Amino acid sequence: MTRPLVEARDLAKDYRMGEETVHALRGVSCTVESGEFVAIMGASGSGKSTFMNMVGCLDVPSGGALLVDGVETGAMDSDALAELRNRTIGFVFQQFNLLARTSALDNVAVPLIYAGVRPGERQARARAKLEAMGLGDRLDHSPAKLSGGQQQRVAIARALVTEPKILLADEPTGALDSATSDEIMRIFQQRNDEGITIVLVTHEADIARYARRRILFRDGRIIDDELVSDRLIAV
Amino acid sequence: MKRSLFGRLDAGAINVGIALTALRTNLMRSILTTLGVMIGVFAVTLAVAVGSGAQVSVMDSINALGSNMAIVFPQPDAEGGRSSFDRGRLTLRDARAIERSIPGVSAIAPQLRASVQMVAGGRRASTTAIGATSGFGAVAGVGAESGRFISEADVRSGARVAVLGPTVARKLFGTFDPVGEAFRIDRVPFTVIGVLETKGSSFGNDNDDTIVVPITAARARFSNSLPGPDDLHVLYVGFDDGTDLEESKREMTRLMRERYSVERRDVQPFTIRTTAEFIEESSQVTAIFQSVLVAIASISLLVGGIGIMNIMLVSVTERTREIGLRMALGAKRRDIRNQFLVEAAILCVIGGAIGIVLAFAAAAAFSVYADFPAQVGAGVATGAIVFSAVIGILFGGYPALRASRLSPIEALRSE
Ligand SMILES: Nc1ncnc2c1ncn2[C@@H]1O[C@H](COP(=O)(O)OP(=O)(O)OP(=O)(O)O)[C@@H](O)[C@H]1O
Ligand SMILES: [Mg+2]
Repeated sequence: MTRPLVEARDLAKDYRMGEETVHALRGVSCTVESGEFVAIMGASGSGKSTFMNMVGCLDVPSGGALLVDGVETGAMDSDALAELRNRTIGFVFQQFNLLARTSALDNVAVPLIYAGVRPGERQARARAKLEAMGLGDRLDHSPAKLSGGQQQRVAIARALVTEPKILLADEPTGALDSATSDEIMRIFQQRNDEGITIVLVTHEADIARYARRRILFRDGRIIDDELVSDRLIAV
Repeated sequence: MKRSLFGRLDAGAINVGIALTALRTNLMRSILTTLGVMIGVFAVTLAVAVGSGAQVSVMDSINALGSNMAIVFPQPDAEGGRSSFDRGRLTLRDARAIERSIPGVSAIAPQLRASVQMVAGGRRASTTAIGATSGFGAVAGVGAESGRFISEADVRSGARVAVLGPTVARKLFGTFDPVGEAFRIDRVPFTVIGVLETKGSSFGNDNDDTIVVPITAARARFSNSLPGPDDLHVLYVGFDDGTDLEESKREMTRLMRERYSVERRDVQPFTIRTTAEFIEESSQVTAIFQSVLVAIASISLLVGGIGIMNIMLVSVTERTREIGLRMALGAKRRDIRNQFLVEAAILCVIGGAIGIVLAFAAAAAFSVYADFPAQVGAGVATGAIVFSAVIGILFGGYPALRASRLSPIEALRSE
């Protein structure tokens, strides 16, 4: 019996802005099973990022419940949430979010520091991940010396270095041209084929076609949830 | 998950690495911040060094008086109340009575004092001559460095011999040994029989600027304004070790009041001071001196600490996004807190270390130019290092805590 990797029950998030309250999420329920590749779409302001931040345990919901890997996150303290993010979740951001003036290798090794992995092993594992991303010859480059696509690949290597169960990517191709975007999506598909679960937010329908399942947000709610029928396979 | 010692060392090393990168990135800012701490630690370390140097030197000069001693002189005691006396009396008979009837007295040293002019060859000098008995050396804790001290025979015969303090010897005879040389005191020929041990200076007084002659010679040859042939300027009373000086002082006071039939309670025509009192008073004075010094110096350290806090707040604000990222990647609150604490501590320890080195150099220079040494040692150094680390933790603590309390998403989203 496999339990869902992510289970959201009636998830709500309100932002109070002075007098007004913004209802960013108005009761979202869905489950993501292990091995899925989900694309989340929707208009700007529909609550996609808000949902991703909840799933990534970076923010706390105002209502409802969220289970990650079978554990209710509402009851966890900040240390436990940090450990969950470290071991179970990998993040890929639109703006890459690499540490400046820090080599690719050291950037990738950061999550391993917080996992308590010894220095030698940290280096070895970070190197292996970068090599798998085709960046074996860029280990000592700082982000400023890498192209956007290369930076995003470093960021993916960093997201994967702790062998998480789920990869969360909020518009990972938003800052990249289409050729580079396809390259990133190819990497995602490969990892997904190897078994890692992926949830990805995108504006572009073409990017969403690389996924297996598509969820559509509008106004803080899920209005559509379907399998991708016209799936693209990157080469 | 409990972290192993290795894990902690590793985490510490990583934080040092992160901190050094961050500090290098804003090198000028880091240097200026460090400068603030450096000046603060420098000031406090030097203040402590000078203060404790003063304390030690005061204790030394009290010990130079002889450790268990009382000084009696025939001046009205201001502490004993207002007095109608200009001057009391103190005679050799009083001295003998004290020696006889006060328990614990080991020796007495009755003295005359006179300002004298000396001539040797072409050189002149003036000083205060002490007319003393042979027992003076033991009670006052002085002896002859070369030659000999005055003897009982010298006193009995009123011999015109003198033991010179090193300063006087230098003034009159330069560098060569004056023992056996003739010179004149107030036109009277005397012979040098010895040179006193160096005692240094205390309270700004040069203890070596003196000569000792037999009391009989002083009475016969030097002018004094004393009322009788038996009167003294000063009496030193030495006590056996372990004597209760407070009690002895009470008994001497009672004896003296009886001998001079002083009845009024508020009148005291003589003054008695014990070394215990000197120690008490002086240590109070030097303690206040030291506290004031350290308090003033601490203000600059406080300013340095505020500089640290200011810069750390800026650093946290500038790196909010990095904090959010690290949290997303699994950093716990304590990881973030430690990262910024280490950064603050590095600023402080570097500043502190340089401050200590400079303070030690300044203390060495001070010791050359001032008449007492600034005391520096492992204790002061350790204290200063611990102190600067504490400053780092204290003033870096708030910014670090603030950083660790950020919400991951808000931090990540900040500009
Ligand atoms: N920190 C916040 N404070 C106040 N309101 C917020 C905050 N974050 C998001 N919102 C609001 O919540 C709603 C959902 O925002 P969200 O960022 O989830 O949208 P999105 O679907 O990711 O949009 P986009 O495609 O433009 O990224 C928006 O109306 C937004 O203004
Ligand atoms: Mg968004």
